[in-house]
Amino acid sequence: MTIQYKSIKELNEMLNNKDISPTELLDETFQLIDEHKDLNAFVTLNKEGSYKAAKELDSKDAFSSLEGIPIAQKDLFCTKDILTTCGSKMLSNFVPPYTATAIENLEKAGCLSVGKTNMDEFAMGSSNETSFYGNVLNPWNKDFVPGGSSGGSAAAVAAGIVAAASGTDTGGSIRQPASLCGISGLKPTYGRISRWGMIAFASSLDQAGPMARTVEDCALLLNEMCSYDKKDTTSLNVEIPDFTHNLNNEIKNKKIGIVKEFDLSKLDQNVVKNFESSLDQLKKLGAEIVEVSIPNISLSVPTYYVIAPAECSSNLSRYDGVKYGFRTDNITDLENLYINSRTEGFGEEVKRRILIGTYVLSAGFYDAYYKKAQQVRRLIKNDFDNAFKEVDVIVSPTTRGPAFAAGSKSGDPIQMYLEDLFTIPANLAGLPAMSIPSGFENNMPLGLQIIGNHLDESTVLQVGHNFQVNTDFHNQNPSKGVS
Amino acid sequence: MSWETTIGLEIHVQLSTKTKLFSGASTQFGSNPNTQVDYVDLGLPGVLPVPNREAFNKAIMFGLATNSTINSISFFDRKNYFYPDLPKGYQITQMNKPIVENGEIAIYVDNKEKIINITRAHLEEDAGKSVHDLFDGKTGVDLNRAGTPLLEIVSEPEISSPEEAVAYFKAIHQLVTYLDICDGNMSQGSMRCDVNVSIKKPEDTELGTRAELKNINSFRFIDRAIRHEVNRQIKLLEKGEKIVQETRLYDSDKNETRSMRSKEAANDYRYFPEPDLLPIVIDQNEINEIKNNMPELPKAKVSRYIDVFNLDEADAKIIATSKEMSKMFETAAAESMNPQLAARWLIGEVNALLNKDNVLLSESKLEINNFSALIIRINDETISGKIAKTVLEKIWETGDTVDSIIESEGLVQIKDSGLIEEICNKVVSDNPDQVAAYRAGKDKLFGFFVGQVMKESKGKANPKNVNEVLKKLLS
Amino acid sequence: MDKETVSTIAHLSRLSLENEKGDKLISDLEEILEFVDQLNDANTENVDPLSSPLEMTARLRNDDLNSKDRKSKFLSNAPDSNEDYFLVPRVVE
Repeated sequence: MTIQYKSIKELNEMLNNKDISPTELLDETFQLIDEHKDLNAFVTLNKEGSYKAAKELDSKDAFSSLEGIPIAQKDLFCTKDILTTCGSKMLSNFVPPYTATAIENLEKAGCLSVGKTNMDEFAMGSSNETSFYGNVLNPWNKDFVPGGSSGGSAAAVAAGIVAAASGTDTGGSIRQPASLCGISGLKPTYGRISRWGMIAFASSLDQAGPMARTVEDCALLLNEMCSYDKKDTTSLNVEIPDFTHNLNNEIKNKKIGIVKEFDLSKLDQNVVKNFESSLDQLKKLGAEIVEVSIPNISLSVPTYYVIAPAECSSNLSRYDGVKYGFRTDNITDLENLYINSRTEGFGEEVKRRILIGTYVLSAGFYDAYYKKAQQVRRLIKNDFDNAFKEVDVIVSPTTRGPAFAAGSKSGDPIQMYLEDLFTIPANLAGLPAMSIPSGFENNMPLGLQIIGNHLDESTVLQVGHNFQVNTDFHNQNPSKGVS
Repeated sequence: MSWETTIGLEIHVQLSTKTKLFSGASTQFGSNPNTQVDYVDLGLPGVLPVPNREAFNKAIMFGLATNSTINSISFFDRKNYFYPDLPKGYQITQMNKPIVENGEIAIYVDNKEKIINITRAHLEEDAGKSVHDLFDGKTGVDLNRAGTPLLEIVSEPEISSPEEAVAYFKAIHQLVTYLDICDGNMSQGSMRCDVNVSIKKPEDTELGTRAELKNINSFRFIDRAIRHEVNRQIKLLEKGEKIVQETRLYDSDKNETRSMRSKEAANDYRYFPEPDLLPIVIDQNEINEIKNNMPELPKAKVSRYIDVFNLDEADAKIIATSKEMSKMFETAAAESMNPQLAARWLIGEVNALLNKDNVLLSESKLEINNFSALIIRINDETISGKIAKTVLEKIWETGDTVDSIIESEGLVQIKDSGLIEEICNKVVSDNPDQVAAYRAGKDKLFGFFVGQVMKESKGKANPKNVNEVLKKLLS
Repeated sequence: MDKETVSTIAHLSRLSLENEKGDKLISDLEEILEFVDQLNDANTENVDPLSSPLEMTARLRNDDLNSKDRKSKFLSNAPDSNEDYFLVPRVVE
């Protein structure tokens, strides 16, 4: 018996049937981690902590949905007494004295945190090539990138090592790697999940979310990750529904929007074909496809590449070699303590974004760049508000193409930034959005993105689940190959 | 050539909340270094600020007391710069929309009232402290103060002399201590100020180039720093040189200001809206509730003192502008049943001592109950006014109680008529020539006899009794 | 981007561009700025800037003590400290 590629739901049945105990589940999980070391999905393992939690569950008779389920946590979440690097040399020795609220919620629900997953440095990247701890490989083809920044989490789930992982998404960092690795991943509404203990990249865009093999598993994880947290004043004090509740309701007569302004003619034609067949599938389920207009959507990427670097340049100022983290050995005075610690401690992409952010906020440029981008951000949000008067969800391809070869885009920042063309708009507008497997191109997975209205994760999940129970893409895995 | 001075003050007031502006750590002064530091204050990764309601309440009290606009929506911004005592690499402040705007406060110089307009008062977090001289070749950083709430009060450039600047600073000091939103302790840095100074010729319509004097924390230094800076600027301009707009540090030891230009090189704070904090909304109900719970303000006190205690307006104002003094007055007035006497002593003798030492009543050794006791002892004629002055001076030095000073120095007034008669008789018989002259019509000599009696009794004889006895003996 | 701007931005960021990767970074920056210049296409007259997708207001906290002394833990994680202070090279005021 193997637990590889099992979903949370399947593992839960095994636990309740006494086919396996939580401790045995961990034994197998750590064995799988070991067997897939070459993927470089994990930075740090948490054997001691997870076994301790598992032992306390071993004697249980009945297991609730997440009790005893091994989970991988993105190394961006602070975890008490466990190294938390955020993919950076800067935090290569940082052991937080607290645990992020989202992780605490999952652990309270019984999840066993088996380790911290590799990621693009400070979540800045779309290929997991910016990590100080090395590239993560795509389990479907190890020459290809897994996407990023939650690449380690996506690869661990795609390789069937764990059924679930946490991720974070600032411009697509859950959805893009989910798409490239053939799994499901959800970025909830901004404010749904507390940001406390999540190492900030761009505060007004960052949002945590679940990554799993199925939409249903994502709903189970979301149920527990959400909470109203007094430590985060941007956390929403709203009712948290049972996100599994209407998964099985049919989507007949749901109105599904496609964005008029997304110019698909410039895309990889296999992606377009795949997207069209996804639309056919949705139509078959009774949904109505409606064209909506988001006139300013084409400005999303430039808007994002002003706002995110601006916030990042300020958020990353705290890494200065004084209070914690990395400090250079080359010190003669305070000034070069700062400069050398930061120059040696940060990688190239992080530096690029800090410099851009500093530039767009500096005197004389603020209005032309930062303020302008914030104005366009409002236009984009207004566009979405209008579109959601007409439709229940909006769909698009998640990415412009399947996973690409490692190294093929890393020299060209703009090409890399355009990776997030379809995912960025939802972050700017703060809307929930998920990626689900929708097919393959040259044996590499493709994804369908479903964007929902403010706080309407339920409908996103419902559409995704309906799609999934009528397709087989999510059941494929790298070991058996695409069937 | 004559020059006009234009001064604007930015006063940083530490608000007396229990906890910091964005964390639940204590703000208490004087604890061991780095023992009052929360995750948020250390700027650890992933932690978030949560604003303290009480800091807003205190800022609103200040706004209400200065007839300011209270903005129902205010925002926080980030001010970005690197310094070891600024753990996040940015300070959270209110740049674009402060909680308080457009207020005013009255100051008094030479008993003349002048209104100074307040541009704005905004909330921000204090930085930690750097200790430069304790460790060999290294600077130590203590973050206990990091995150303490500050109200930065910015005046319009309407102050035109060092005296006015001091009066303005004192007026703000008195107000914030009145409102109990700041402990007013200058030596602990609870109030610090930056002073903008420029000069121009009377006929010029535009203000001159200003210099900003940083971080001045006493009344005396404000006065000296401004005087020094004005002289420096006059000398430059009269030599035909230009004033550079810059920040200057006042060195109280050398009594000079020096440029901090080097530190400012290419400083650009890159203010932008703090994305971790949504706008703060204060509704009218909250403002009304704060209004209803405010302590009585100086203005109301002045009218009450005039109506109830029959004080002169000028006297009432002097007493009412200081919280300590008004408390002292009200206690002494009630306990001695002689408000006029209490007022006279505060405005006269106590004020003279305050001015002589340039200190605040709260910093002196004179306590409220001790002052009451002094007024009671004068009122019941245990001591004469003259003795009382000596007693007050003793209290000023030592802080001892009135009764213990009277007792240990043997200052109780002599009212025993036998004893007084004895002394008077002695004086009369010791000075036969003067007696003869007085009786021959030289009335002025009466004072001489009183003086001799007082000298003989070491000032303790009751003057009223002495007068009566002497009149009888000399007639 | 002229040299002076580049050096100002690098100084404000406390990053050094004086290594072999510096030139590449600068040309990347120019390319990115050119890319974001597309924003000028948008008509944003009378549009309020949006700084958070949540158009809500902040909650305030009561003034209750909620922290403890963590000095020894914090100082032991610092690159340089003594028993009371974080230490940095001497700053001359």
